[in-house]
Parts: sequence; C-alpha cells; structure tokens
Amino acid sequence: MSLFDDVEKVLISEAEIKERVVTLAAEMNALYTDDDLPILICILKGAFLFLADFTRHLTFRHELDFMEISSYGRGMTSAGSVRILLDLASDIQGRNVIIVEDIVDTGNTLNYILRNFAARRAASVRVATLLNKPSRRKIEVPVDFIGFEVPDEFVIGYGLDFAEQYRNLPFIGVLKPEVYQNL
Amino acid sequence: MDITLPNSIERILLDEATIQQRVQQMADIISTDYAGLRNEEFLLVGVLKGSFMFMADLARRLTVPHRVDFIALSSYEDSAEATGAVRMIMDTRADVARRHILIVEDIVDTGYTLKYLYRIFGARQPASLRTAVLLSKPDRREVEVAVDYLGFQIPDVWVVGYGLDYADRFRTLPYIAMLKPSVYEH
Repeated sequence: MSLFDDVEKVLISEAEIKERVVTLAAEMNALYTDDDLPILICILKGAFLFLADFTRHLTFRHELDFMEISSYGRGMTSAGSVRILLDLASDIQGRNVIIVEDIVDTGNTLNYILRNFAARRAASVRVATLLNKPSRRKIEVPVDFIGFEVPDEFVIGYGLDFAEQYRNLPFIGVLKPEVYQNL
Repeated sequence: MDITLPNSIERILLDEATIQQRVQQMADIISTDYAGLRNEEFLLVGVLKGSFMFMADLARRLTVPHRVDFIALSSYEDSAEATGAVRMIMDTRADVARRHILIVEDIVDTGYTLKYLYRIFGARQPASLRTAVLLSKPDRREVEVAVDYLGFQIPDVWVVGYGLDYADRFRTLPYIAMLKPSVYEH
C-alpha cells in the first residue's frame, strides 16, 4: 500500500481509537437521557468515521443531522467566515445539540458553528471532537468531549485527509513533510 | 456486547456480525473490481443521511485508493412517493466527469431515488457508474434499477438501524432491526 509509505509515524493506533470511542460514548451516556433527545450534528466530511463508530455505543435516544462547511479560499480568515454547503435538515431551536467534529485546531470553524447555533436558539450545545490540537488555538472555544489531544503535527487518517487522500487509514498518522511540502 | 434492545424494537433482522462480514465481502469484491485505480480516479458517493454507517465500514475496508464524497437529497413535499421526484440539496464537491463513480446507498425500495441518481450522474460523463447498496426490498420495487453490489435482500418490513431511521431515530444502532408496528401505526 503506497498510502502507508507517506506516513511518518502512527500517532494513535486503530486499537486505541476503538477503545476510546467506547469510553467517549460512555461519557455521553452519563450526561444524556432519552428525554433530552439530543441531536448529534456531524460536520462533514472528516467526522463521518468517528460519528459512525462512537454512536453505535450510545444508549440514550438521539437524532442525527449533518452539516458540510467550506472555508473561503485557502485556510480560514481570522473572522472565521465559512460557507455552509449543507445546512441542517432539522430545526434546532430548543434542542440539545452535540456537534461532532474530527479536529479542533484554530477553533475558527467551531466558533462560527457555535455562534450560528446560538442564533438558532438551541437549548444546549456541547462539542465532541476526535482530536484536539490546543497548541494551534486562535480563539477560545468550549470542547466537552475530546478523543485525543494531539501535538501540532500534520495528522491524517480515520476521516482526516490531505488533498482528499488518507481518510480511510484506520489509524491517526503523521504525514511525511515531503508529501505536503512538494505541493 | 450489549444487546439490550430499545423498547421499540421487535426483533433483530441482521445482527452486527452478519452485517460486518457481508460488508467485508463487498469491500473485497469492490477492491478487486477497481484494482489499479488511483485515488483521484475512484469516487465513492454516499447518499445522506442513511448511508453514513455503511460508507464508514465499506470505505475503510477497501484496499483500492479512493475518495469519499456525500450528497444529500430531499423529496418534494407536494409530490412525495407518487413520482419519486427528489431534490438534490447538496451535490458532490468533486467533479464526476472521467471518474469511476460508486454510489453508496443504505437501501433501495421503490427504486426511484437510485434511478434518479443514475440519470443525474450518468449525464456527467463518468468513466463508469455503479451502485453499492446494503439493503434491497424487492417487493417494493416500482421501477427497474440495477444494483451492482448488494448486501442483503429483505422483506417489506419497517427496518431501522445501521443508518436507517424512523423519524430520524435508531440510525446508529449497529444492527438492523424490525420496528414494532405499534411505533409507527398510531
């Protein structure tokens, strides 16, 4: 597999991810009941694998929705302006919302989503992210459920891509610098 | 494994192990059929919301390089099932032209949605266009439509789980189950 040749090292193994999604679901199970009927909102595309795995272990009733977002141009502006490519199918006013992200780094995208959802008057909003990269944070955002803290390295796999590659790696790896520096 | 059933579930139709084994078989066949393609030549297109779990399990088992994209559809409130007309709410981000396209769907019942997708994507000059569908309800079919990779044929009962919902619930159950009629009859 040539994909593996581009991986400098495995940061989080498949087994570690499998174990963590179960305990992370347990953290949610302790906080929510059937009556809360939270709506989980998956931010595409990166979070779909994470979503598909931890939600199998949820024991409270919940609903699912999806949102796809794109930033303008290359990278995020400090204002965190983004384009919503797919908006929610559901009305979240008065609902308990759990945002499901693959990674929180600068916090700009998440901050945009949080402000957007506040304007829709959700009853409560919590954030679940597979990866957290606090060293990159530019704006403070609340993150309630964190799969793993990662250092400021170019991470790929388990939903995270570089130029639409590596998403389907079963582990979180660090991309070799020559792969992204050559572009 | 916790197999406590939610109260609304009548019985399990396809358990987790059965589904996982079948998805692995499908991934093996697809990997063989598309072997040799490069990442940018092979695009999986998942139909939201129902296909997300099938897509997750299928994609990670493919040994052939590929990209993943999602589309979202909605039916017209005023025409609904009669014509099977659907609206595309979100299109693919990737250009379909000259790529090998594999549409990933959770279920085919009347066949209208899949037929619509064949028509839409077929017009965009893909290198090839095929479909991978987890479930088929042949008793419900109203239009002929080809399915290239099929997981399971099931009877015409209301199924939930593994992406399939009732009123947006039960989608994340790791198995496919029959809903108690009392849930949807009132």
